[in-house]
Amino acid sequence: MSNLTQAFALVAQPDVILAILLSSLYGMVVGALPGLTATMATALLVPVTFYLSPIAAIAAIISASAMAIFSGDIPGALLRIPGTPASAAYTDEAYAYTRKGQPEMALGIGLWFSAIGGIIGTVALLVIAPALAEFALSFSTFEYFWMACLGLMCATIVARSSPVKALASMFFGLLVSCIGIDNPGGTPRFTFGMTDLMGGVDVIAAMVGMFAVSEVMRFMLDQAPPPLPKRRFGSILANQWKLTLEFPKSWSRGSVVGIIVGVLPGAGADMAAWISYAIAKRFSREPKKFGTGHPEGLIEAGASNNSSLAGAWVPALLFGIPGDTITAIAIGVLYMKGLNPGPTLFTNNAPSMYALYFIFFIANLLMIPLGIMVIRMSSKVLRVPYSIVMPIVILCCAVGTFAITNSTFGVIVAAAFGCIGFILQRYGFPIAAMVLGIVMGTLVEQSFVASLIKSGGSILPFFNRPVALALASITLLCVAWPVIGWALQRSRRLSSAET
Amino acid sequence: MLQSYRIVGAATAAIGAAAFYGGSLLPPVPGQNVGPNVFPMVTGGGLFLCGMLIALGVGRRYEQEIEADVAAHAAVHVGAQAAAQIGAQVGAQAGATPAPTQVRHGPLHALRVLVPPGLLIFYALAADSLGFVPTAAIIALTLCRALGAPWRSAVLVALLAPPAVHFAFADLLRVPLPPGLLPMPW
Repeated sequence: MSNLTQAFALVAQPDVILAILLSSLYGMVVGALPGLTATMATALLVPVTFYLSPIAAIAAIISASAMAIFSGDIPGALLRIPGTPASAAYTDEAYAYTRKGQPEMALGIGLWFSAIGGIIGTVALLVIAPALAEFALSFSTFEYFWMACLGLMCATIVARSSPVKALASMFFGLLVSCIGIDNPGGTPRFTFGMTDLMGGVDVIAAMVGMFAVSEVMRFMLDQAPPPLPKRRFGSILANQWKLTLEFPKSWSRGSVVGIIVGVLPGAGADMAAWISYAIAKRFSREPKKFGTGHPEGLIEAGASNNSSLAGAWVPALLFGIPGDTITAIAIGVLYMKGLNPGPTLFTNNAPSMYALYFIFFIANLLMIPLGIMVIRMSSKVLRVPYSIVMPIVILCCAVGTFAITNSTFGVIVAAAFGCIGFILQRYGFPIAAMVLGIVMGTLVEQSFVASLIKSGGSILPFFNRPVALALASITLLCVAWPVIGWALQRSRRLSSAET
Repeated sequence: MLQSYRIVGAATAAIGAAAFYGGSLLPPVPGQNVGPNVFPMVTGGGLFLCGMLIALGVGRRYEQEIEADVAAHAAVHVGAQAAAQIGAQVGAQAGATPAPTQVRHGPLHALRVLVPPGLLIFYALAADSLGFVPTAAIIALTLCRALGAPWRSAVLVALLAPPAVHFAFADLLRVPLPPGLLPMPW
């Protein structure tokens, strides 16, 4: 009980409340602009969080990301251009409502069920994380090693690209994490005599480069989206309660799928929305209505993408393994603020954890009034010319990375990783897998080397403990999965050719 | 297409091989059988293997399926964009057929992607001597123009954005931004 009181006191601080309000507004606006993702919004927010108290910093990240995921639905519904990748799965469905002259219905469903999904996700985080933390306290370096490997493998399997390229992208990330003197021998690795690289590549500067600079680079070639025609909306929340009672299976199933996808490392809100929309269509009694302005898919996918946000915090808080790209950034902030992820976080810093749950609840409730406000202002927000937004983004990248690293080298790192991110994306390498490699490289190496030293160089102890063996089996299955899938498909094709 | 796979695969394999070789040169830790060389060698080896597989075209089928999926999606999306551009909801309703006018670009058009990272490097090199506000103004003006903004808007952004960013970061967040030639009066 005292933990709850302390947590409430932490959240009730004026700086935390102000951080929630301002970052929510910021997230709403950035998410509503097509092409500017929730991850980019989070990456650009990190330099600001550097100067906030730990709870205010986490509050800013949680609020901004939750709002951005919802507000990505706004241009999706009105222009058929998803604001963030998380809205892409059901953009056509939402736009079908606009074509029928009912955009407020699609936007209302997005808003209401995003909030419901977010709250269910938070309840899951509240229940799952502490229970898993107790179990994880018995983990040794062997389990941590396999846990990290499993996280990396999941990221390569769920990526919407060739598994080989996803694997290569992950190895690129691990290679970047090798740079510097933070290794078993304290030897400078891949520093090429540059003192600036001795401390390694700053993860936040690299992510600002890969998520923000590379997006601006993409905009230099792509066409800007068209302006939104002026429009007056009817009641946004009308009929939502009726839909909640009418489709309980949709929003509850969407929320559960979102939580599961969120917990899987590397798979984020976009993956959750795609899977949930497909499930909704598959199990619907009226699958033919999908794509014509039918609520089921919107409800399920809208609840799913927001519930995955909270789910992604489970592995991030417990093991320092990011559940998605947003938590990959959040882990950096947690370390920066002295809230090092791990199971002991729940025992030594319980009030902070409860505060985090409170923030999730507040952000998801605040989403409803703020969402209505942004929807009503959408014709103004979506009219901001990109030729004005992008220079401000680049200025924030420059000043932000300088603020984090306190050196102009950080700005060069952001520029370099912007180019790397742009090139990798152009050639079909998923950058989320690379980010996971960079973030988890140190954890993988430390647990790998510590385990090898403990075992005297023998590989057998990696499989001796039951949990380690189970994790190792799942990891190896993940490695073999693309090959198994290929072999199965080939044998099926051969047998059908014979008949 | 196959050519691009070979080039990308070869480049990936070359980076992997270089990492493996670079890792193997690292000195071991005396008295320990695992040193700083193990991880870069494992990572480099993995990258080399992936590069070879990419060069051989493994996984191309997955990408072709995804590309087809994205292309189907983009065809509809482009139609909707064109419809929205003429402000006709009816146009989008009628289908995704209207194709947008293709803009012809010069051979140097692709080089525009280098403008954002180039401007960041310019910031890193010039901010200390010129100061934050003039450097930021040059960056804003250049990027606005590169993105096709008219001169009036570009100059307005270059005049207003740097003091606003300076206020947010230097005054509110206490980030020590270089004053250079034009220190802010507040």
